[in-house]
Amino acid sequence: MAAETDTRNRNPLVRDDASGTGLVAAGAVGLSALLFVVSLAVLFQAVDLTDAVAGVPVVTLLGGGLVVLGAATVAFGVGSRLGFVETEPQASAGMLAGVVFAATWVVVAGLVASQTLGLGTAGWLVASLAVGGGVFALSVGTREDVGSTVPAGALAAMAGLVFLAGIIGPEWVWDLGFEQKASFTGGFTVPTVTLFCSLVAGWASAKAYGGFGARGRHTGAYTLVYLNAGSIVGVLFLLLAFTVFKGISGLVNGFAVGLGAGPESTIVLLGQSISWEWPFYLPFVMNGVGLTNDFNGVLPAIVGTVWLVVGAVLFAVPLGVGAAVFLTEYAERGRFTQAVEVATNGLWSTPSIVFGLFGFAFLIPRFGNGKSLLSGMLTLGFMLLPLVVITSREAMLSVPDEYRDASAALGVTKWQTIRSVVLPAALPGVVTGIILGVGRIAGETAPILLTMAGGVFVPGSQTPDVIGGFAFTSTPPFVENPVLLDAASALPYQLYALITAGVGASGNVANPDEFKWATALVLLVVVLSFYAIGIAARYYFRRELNQ
Amino acid sequence: MSETTQTPTESQQNTTTTGEPETTAGETEEQVREEWRDYQFAGEAKLSVEDLDVYYGDDHALKGVSMDIPENSVTALIGPSGCGKSTFLRCLNRMNDRVKSARIDGSVELDGEEIYQEGVNLVELRKRVGMVFQSPNPFPKSIAENISYGPRKHGDIETGLLARLLGRSNEDERDELVERCLRDAALWDEVSDRLDDNALGLSGGQQQRLCIARCLSVDPEVILMDEPASALDPIATAKIEDLIDDLSEHYTVVIVTHNMQQAARISDQTAVFLTGGELVEYDDTEKIFEQPESQRVEEYISGKFG
Amino acid sequence: MGVEKAARVLRGIRDSLEDEEPAAVATVGVMAGALLASLVGFLLVSSLTIVPFGIFVVTAGYGWLRHQELTAKTLALAMTVSTILILLLITAFIFREAVPVIEYETATVFGVAVPGLRLFIQPEWEAVTPPVRYSMVPMIHGTVLVTLIATAVAAPLGIAAALFISEIAPAPVREAVKPGVEILAGIPSIVYGFIGFTILSPWASDQFQILGQGTYLFVGIVVGLMALPTVVSVAEDALASVPESMKSGSLAMGTTDWQTMTSITLPAAFSGVSAAVLLGVGRAIGETMAATVMLRGVPRLTDPLYNAFYGQETLTSLIARNYGEAEGLQMSALFVAGVILFITVLFLSIGSQYIEARMRSKLGGEQ
Repeated sequence: MAAETDTRNRNPLVRDDASGTGLVAAGAVGLSALLFVVSLAVLFQAVDLTDAVAGVPVVTLLGGGLVVLGAATVAFGVGSRLGFVETEPQASAGMLAGVVFAATWVVVAGLVASQTLGLGTAGWLVASLAVGGGVFALSVGTREDVGSTVPAGALAAMAGLVFLAGIIGPEWVWDLGFEQKASFTGGFTVPTVTLFCSLVAGWASAKAYGGFGARGRHTGAYTLVYLNAGSIVGVLFLLLAFTVFKGISGLVNGFAVGLGAGPESTIVLLGQSISWEWPFYLPFVMNGVGLTNDFNGVLPAIVGTVWLVVGAVLFAVPLGVGAAVFLTEYAERGRFTQAVEVATNGLWSTPSIVFGLFGFAFLIPRFGNGKSLLSGMLTLGFMLLPLVVITSREAMLSVPDEYRDASAALGVTKWQTIRSVVLPAALPGVVTGIILGVGRIAGETAPILLTMAGGVFVPGSQTPDVIGGFAFTSTPPFVENPVLLDAASALPYQLYALITAGVGASGNVANPDEFKWATALVLLVVVLSFYAIGIAARYYFRRELNQ
Repeated sequence: MSETTQTPTESQQNTTTTGEPETTAGETEEQVREEWRDYQFAGEAKLSVEDLDVYYGDDHALKGVSMDIPENSVTALIGPSGCGKSTFLRCLNRMNDRVKSARIDGSVELDGEEIYQEGVNLVELRKRVGMVFQSPNPFPKSIAENISYGPRKHGDIETGLLARLLGRSNEDERDELVERCLRDAALWDEVSDRLDDNALGLSGGQQQRLCIARCLSVDPEVILMDEPASALDPIATAKIEDLIDDLSEHYTVVIVTHNMQQAARISDQTAVFLTGGELVEYDDTEKIFEQPESQRVEEYISGKFG
Repeated sequence: MGVEKAARVLRGIRDSLEDEEPAAVATVGVMAGALLASLVGFLLVSSLTIVPFGIFVVTAGYGWLRHQELTAKTLALAMTVSTILILLLITAFIFREAVPVIEYETATVFGVAVPGLRLFIQPEWEAVTPPVRYSMVPMIHGTVLVTLIATAVAAPLGIAAALFISEIAPAPVREAVKPGVEILAGIPSIVYGFIGFTILSPWASDQFQILGQGTYLFVGIVVGLMALPTVVSVAEDALASVPESMKSGSLAMGTTDWQTMTSITLPAAFSGVSAAVLLGVGRAIGETMAATVMLRGVPRLTDPLYNAFYGQETLTSLIARNYGEAEGLQMSALFVAGVILFITVLFLSIGSQYIEARMRSKLGGEQ
């Protein structure tokens, strides 16, 4: 049978992590993180390359940092190879690392040979292939500790030396010689190259910190994956923070709190009119644009968006839930349900502008030949429909069959079972899905562009009043609602109109730029509140179900 | 590596194997435990567990379990479901680390080395303490690749383009390994002509033996088995049981089972866990099944509860 | 074959109706007829549509009160049919509107007149001065460039993020990152476009010394960011569907988490992950507003073709930018762009569904 106990080749169970050499690798990882952050700051122009920190220009700091980082990385790898550092490297850094290193060095060598040394096509081709081949051989042919650190460290060190020597500096420009002119400038190249080198060298030193081998690769890969996740969250945060930062001043313009500060609102319900005064005044969301206004706002667009969403939901939800009921509860699972599934998924990924075109060709001629609120509602309803079908179906499918069987065993009819067992159990999923879908359509611009339109600066008098608009007539179609058939504005459309209107158009708005950002912020708040509610609802329902 | 042995318990005297045939009604469980704690098996302890507590959130799943597991023998862990025997098993190769809510207190030593101390190399630990799961879980790869997966990940087997380029390819070694492991798992004769077929095409029993073969491929010292036959039919179960018997010549096998006949058939010593995560009795299998000390164990064995 | 099938379906319907009360069947029949009539009326742009629709509402209400069982079933069926009908209508209408320009741009190859061919073989878009020429080539070029760049951003980052959420992140971090990704999907495209237009475009012009504003490169990056959440959520589902026992099996062999991910989880979920990328590509192709506000709106090829520093026009932005003043043939040309988008994305969607279904049956087969 199997090998005898004494032939088992074992590494120690416990690894001593406290060695001082690990500090070198950890320091290198830290240095790459620092370089990463600084080059991002340069890229976003928070810091200029020529700014001096402690008397040294930033470009020199980056160059110096890269040289130190490269040297540390190489030193650790070579030290491990020579046995000064205790690691557990594998025999080779692996194909993937080899290919990535080789490709990078092919590009570097090609650029140096063709641009710096001015070799001809044959010359730079030979040079870059030779270097690339050499790097490939080095990274896969030597033990992992050398193969994964030396090419990375050398790259960082070389880039650093180029920056230090001033070969590529803030003033450097490389004209690509395209017919449509474009160049690489030092202001872009230096931080971008630093970014890339710090990633590569950071990965290599993270790997070294993990002691190479399986654990080293694990550490290296995790560093990159964590960085990626962090960056995504960072970008999200930046986007939100930036919009808030730019939009908040326009939004709170003229804000006042106190009894009697706000405008009066009236609602007519069953002949009874109810009026109240808002205890605060936020003109941007309570006014339209007008000559006599102290502060202008986007009230018509907000109301338009609300009605759009209401209309789309009224259209899509009954239709979608009904279709989902039929597909899950009545129809035999087979070709037909499969076809509908493919169709709904296809509809869901259809570009929104195509829905716009459809609305333009199909709905507009049927609703008075003009862009209208009703066309916009239905177009967005068409968009929302597949999502309602998909999420409702998922929610109903996840209702266990035992519920249905139990109900059927009591002699309850199918529809009663659906109504009193399936639908209530599926409700949380359906509701969550609808809220998230509404968030998406509330922010859509493309479909309403072609079907609803509206103005750039919309006066308060154009705030749609759908309920008050209904009237009965003696000719078919007997009911009319001019408000539904009028063009109306919505937040995303208004933002688009503001952007494309350019600098010249200002209406009566004193500060169009502020107005735009504030519109963007209001749109973001409206859409993200739907998302927040949807996500919160999901958490709430999930917790309820788990109890 | 180091073959330092450790004295399993302080007392060298065997006080429990002879004595009164009946469990004395007045004897408390504490006393029973005191008695079997002096249980002395032949051979040396491979694993020794001391005061192991496991909590899942607020749930105290294992309560102060202590036991030594002898080398190259089969130790069965039996008990009703929910008694913590699987939890115990998964502590022995730290698979419970995967469970985010789990908190583990106490000590587990493998050849005298604490596996719950700082800086333990989980890769090394799990190479030495292999595991076979309740339902067969072959990878969606070929039969041969399933076997060579572990050694390849540990860098012992290298095949493929790069290895061939560098002249390090050891395909012969791989083929040998695959054959040896499959033979050891009594599967070779059934699959030798279709080593490149997807492992998911095998029957349940074959899949489970493949998983055992896969476990052998990294040459472990201890094999943990979590109800390895519970998802199999009687014939496949019989094959697995024969296999376990063969394996115990070279490996320390710890097997969780809810099937008492199975425990009686294959194990050298048996530990009985009862509801609440307590180890109630641990002794030679024969003794447990014929003359258990504890009243509760006797009731459990005779099928009165559990 | 088809007739037989139809007959079988009809027989099935008759059989199922036989058990019902005649009154219920009659109600449902009137309801269905009225609904059909309103559909026809609507398609014919008749103002009398309201009459059959009113009848439908009344009979449906009556049926709901008196014969709820059958009415509910019929309504549900009608809703299903409407959903399919909408897809068919979309197809029919955008194709119909696209026909004139396809006829106009007929090209002759070897003596055979191929309608619409000239849309794809010459790169000039000249909508004003004669000879008026419409071409999809510049827009297809733009869409391809943007989609390539967007995929290069969204695919690797999205898969890495999906791995992070599904396999790596500790529970509290996951609870924070997952909604974050969803919110990223929630930010309206026009807001992305606005930030791109006011911040990124001027910055890019400055950094790359480009004449004017608008580059495919940055449109691609922004669109990639917008496609990212799609990739993340679909890929995460695929990764989560790999059975835990398989992952434990690998870990128990002493492999690291990373090795388990790359050698077991990712290969097992490979088809699901590629479906995620396909869907992301579909999102990127269809993205409209960010492209519209960030691009130049001049339909021409960039020079050289791989010069992504200049952004001209994509299929989507062509439509969004020109629908206003377009008439006749030009409007029809916009519909051609819509048809191309619709078909491409539909194929991507069907392709990814097929791949996902295959993966599900493969992974499901072993359980």
